[in-house]
Amino acid sequence: MKRLFLFLALCAPIYAADPVEADFYKITTFETPKETALEVGSIDLLPDGKLIMGTRRGEIWIVSGAGSSDTSNVSYKLFASGLHEVLGIAYNPKDKNIYATTRYEITRLKDVDGDGRADVFDNFCDHWGVSGDYHEYAIGSHFDKAGDLWVTLCLTGSFNSNAEFRGWALRIKPDGKMVPTCSGIRSPGGLGFDADGETYYCDNQGPWHGSCTLQHLVPGSFQGHPGGNIWYDKAPNMGPRPIDPLPEAFSNGRNRKDKTPHVDPDRMVTERERIKQLLPPAVYLVHGKIGNSASAIICDLSAGKFGPFSKQLFVADQSHSNLSRVFLETVNGIKQGVVIPFRSGFASGLIGGRMDEEGRVFVGGSDRGWGARGGKPFCFEKCEWTGKTPFEVHEMHAKPDGFELTFTQPIDSTTAGDVKSYSMREFTYAYREEYGGDEVSEIIPQITAAKVAADGKSVRLTISPLTKGHIHELHLDGVKNAEGQALLHKVGYYTLNEIPTK
Amino acid sequence: MIRPLLALLLAATTLRAAETAVFSLKTMTAQMKYDTAELLVQPGQPVQLTFENGDDLPHNLVFCQPGTDTAAMAMKQMENAEAALKRNWLPDDSRIWAHSKMLNPHEKETLNFTAPEKPGTYPYVCTFPGHALTMRGELKVMKAGEGLKDLHFALYLGNWKQLPDFSKLKPHREGKIENNLIEVKLDDYKNEFGVVFTGKLNAPKKGPYRFFISSDDGSRLLIDGKEVVVYDGIHPAGDIKEKSIPLEQGEHEFRLEYFQGGGNIDLYAAWKGSDFQMTPLSKWLHPNWKGGTKKQKEFDPIPLAVTTEPVIYRNFIQGAGNRGIGVGYPGGINLAWSAESMNLALIWRGAFIDASKHWNSRGGGHQPPLGYDVLQPTGEVTPAFFVTDKPDAAWPTWDKTKRYDGFEWKGYSLDAKRSPTFRYTWQNAEIEESFAVEGNGNKPDGNAKLIRTIKVSGKLPPNAWYRLASGQFESKDGSFLIKGVKPYLITTAGVQMAGANLVIPAKPGTMAITYQWIQ
Repeated sequence: MKRLFLFLALCAPIYAADPVEADFYKITTFETPKETALEVGSIDLLPDGKLIMGTRRGEIWIVSGAGSSDTSNVSYKLFASGLHEVLGIAYNPKDKNIYATTRYEITRLKDVDGDGRADVFDNFCDHWGVSGDYHEYAIGSHFDKAGDLWVTLCLTGSFNSNAEFRGWALRIKPDGKMVPTCSGIRSPGGLGFDADGETYYCDNQGPWHGSCTLQHLVPGSFQGHPGGNIWYDKAPNMGPRPIDPLPEAFSNGRNRKDKTPHVDPDRMVTERERIKQLLPPAVYLVHGKIGNSASAIICDLSAGKFGPFSKQLFVADQSHSNLSRVFLETVNGIKQGVVIPFRSGFASGLIGGRMDEEGRVFVGGSDRGWGARGGKPFCFEKCEWTGKTPFEVHEMHAKPDGFELTFTQPIDSTTAGDVKSYSMREFTYAYREEYGGDEVSEIIPQITAAKVAADGKSVRLTISPLTKGHIHELHLDGVKNAEGQALLHKVGYYTLNEIPTK
Repeated sequence: MIRPLLALLLAATTLRAAETAVFSLKTMTAQMKYDTAELLVQPGQPVQLTFENGDDLPHNLVFCQPGTDTAAMAMKQMENAEAALKRNWLPDDSRIWAHSKMLNPHEKETLNFTAPEKPGTYPYVCTFPGHALTMRGELKVMKAGEGLKDLHFALYLGNWKQLPDFSKLKPHREGKIENNLIEVKLDDYKNEFGVVFTGKLNAPKKGPYRFFISSDDGSRLLIDGKEVVVYDGIHPAGDIKEKSIPLEQGEHEFRLEYFQGGGNIDLYAAWKGSDFQMTPLSKWLHPNWKGGTKKQKEFDPIPLAVTTEPVIYRNFIQGAGNRGIGVGYPGGINLAWSAESMNLALIWRGAFIDASKHWNSRGGGHQPPLGYDVLQPTGEVTPAFFVTDKPDAAWPTWDKTKRYDGFEWKGYSLDAKRSPTFRYTWQNAEIEESFAVEGNGNKPDGNAKLIRTIKVSGKLPPNAWYRLASGQFESKDGSFLIKGVKPYLITTAGVQMAGANLVIPAKPGTMAITYQWIQ
């Protein structure tokens, strides 16, 4: 009997087709209204199961029936039009109004006569500048737990800030008062909150950014791009302007005295020592591997209805037309964590996204201006858990001498306990003014131990060395679950801003 | 080792001149425009022109003699509309020398004619009532310049990032180019070489001549041994570099140096004189060379249709700053409000706006109004309210980097007809501005009006003025005629002329202003 079981276990991977993402997460593509190009820029939930969506063409649509399993139930009603690119939309349950973030204003929309179309367009807050440059996007949030809205403002182009607070994150209080909250933004792609209500945004590869990133918007922090720091005199609440990072550590004969000769000076980890307000990205969304143009941030608050990744974050990408999954933890007061591929194959470049209480992720976007893998010019789609649990790394925790991994399914202790099932490389990006950058300062560490916990659900890896400030790229090619199946995604990228002491 | 080979192509410039010029010209949808603003031909050249009506209205294409006031010619038909209708709106005018039929929507007609012998600018226009103001273009008749003579090439091999000093290098191969047209044509190799073209160019008279080059990779043009224009380095043939130089009458030494690193091979050269059109000296024509035709557009238009209710378009509108709010009213009257200056920035009639600039690609740039008779009553993004004891003095002007002090934008509300009322505060006063339209903006009958109502409540500072217009005026039957390219009338109570400003002392209450096109 025991022998027969072993035989079957060995045969299973041979006879069953390798699982694919679609086995676990299903994408449904909706028909969209014929009279427009529904270039979804932002999505929020309305109380009665409806959605509200803002588009790049400045329209706001109310969508009914998108939660239904029958896609023919979906219907659209135009709530408002003519706004200047709606890249943030929020329903306020307190006043039952819609708040749309556009280029130069958050507009509060009311439907006073109740005919389903907005008839009052109040300026809720417009205390930031716009110079007429196409790059000066404004990305808005949903309401946070304090009832505030957040706005991240793209710079004028990649380097400069030609209008007030371009390159900043702002908070708008319920009375419309604007509070400058973080500097250092370059080209934001999305805003969202984690399960604790902390705020994050995605930035894009460019000057001072070797890669797209997920960044924690801690009030008072400097997020890395100094282009917008000229506005500190208009933000007394932010304290003194941070000293500037070095544009290029080795150019123009510049040569900072370096106390740690093995570390190059143009590194985020080095500049953090010098610039006290500088907050490193929580997670590098590794350029070209995870994505190319990070956008919406979606937190799974469905308590299991979206599968096993409760409270984790899902980050959309416009260029790669995909969702990636992020697990975050706090080490020495700094957010950091791992990004793992999750689901690819969306029809167009994703920009806006929202999960409903039933664990359905609604996403949409367009490929306009930058191109997207999806292939369609625009899309509105739904991503749902099929009920089958994929074999995935569930969480990845930093430890003083390595990492602890948990999994979504019981693991095979033989493969999971074998160091040869794993490989790791460490790298970082130069923190410099030049556009983008390569993966640099590569280190191939030794994986000296892989210890499976007694419950068979987690593994403790011992790694030497761990490198502060580096991205730790972990491959788990050999790890199998108890049924002998390989992981659905065999790679994770952990950004090690801080090495825990215990 | 691959042996380089230059092959030559025969087709003389003089042969090109005799060729039939083939053009296609379309009307743009809902824009009251042709898609081509300029056609370029040589004297006496045969022309084959396919005219396609892509619009939803009837249009024709009528060519006139130089100097014809085409708008007046088309308008004159209204004096005897019945006879004009019988002629299908083709004016009975001896200045017309070629024309199409009046095409119904989506019809097509091919015209064959010979270009006039006399060089000049021949306007073309649609003579259907009301179309001539915007639906027009120019046929330019100009002779071609002479081509190169005695053209030779010298081929060099080498791997360069910039043009080398060819005079210090030994040519790998040399030869004569029989058709005297610059061309790099290669059969079996494509990288790491240079070519120097030398020949003679005849300037027909003393005067300025403009030279144009573009290349992938670098190139440099010399006349009589002096560098004229250079486009060095490794790059695609993105730009056309140009420079004008004076030349004496007679023959000049022409030298064009070129090198290829890798990738595409392109080389373009042309020249232009005061009495001959842009004339290519190369076989390859750069996509942006300014010969042949000049197209009107970047993207397929996305005109926003105004049907039963006002349409709002907030975006970068040219002339309305960076916080522009366009409103198209049914009946062909449109405006742009500025949420920066809290003022009416533009008024125009005809079609509302084309969203294609903002709804294609990354959506950069400012979009001008789509219609015509665009009025900017008080200059670029300036406020109406101002405190001054000299209302004839200059009003504040737009500083793009700042907001105007004392103003706060509040938003707008739509009434039952979905017409917006704009709300803002200035100092301690609350202001509401609403608009109504009368007449039909598409009809040039002098009855199209925009009526602006301004409600001021609260407290205004002393010496507060409200400016309606700036420019040159004359009083006319209780109204004011605003002179200029597009003259219009302003009618309101209590208005005063103060220098170049037309102003009202600002006080709480209601003001009504009528803006009226006089034709």
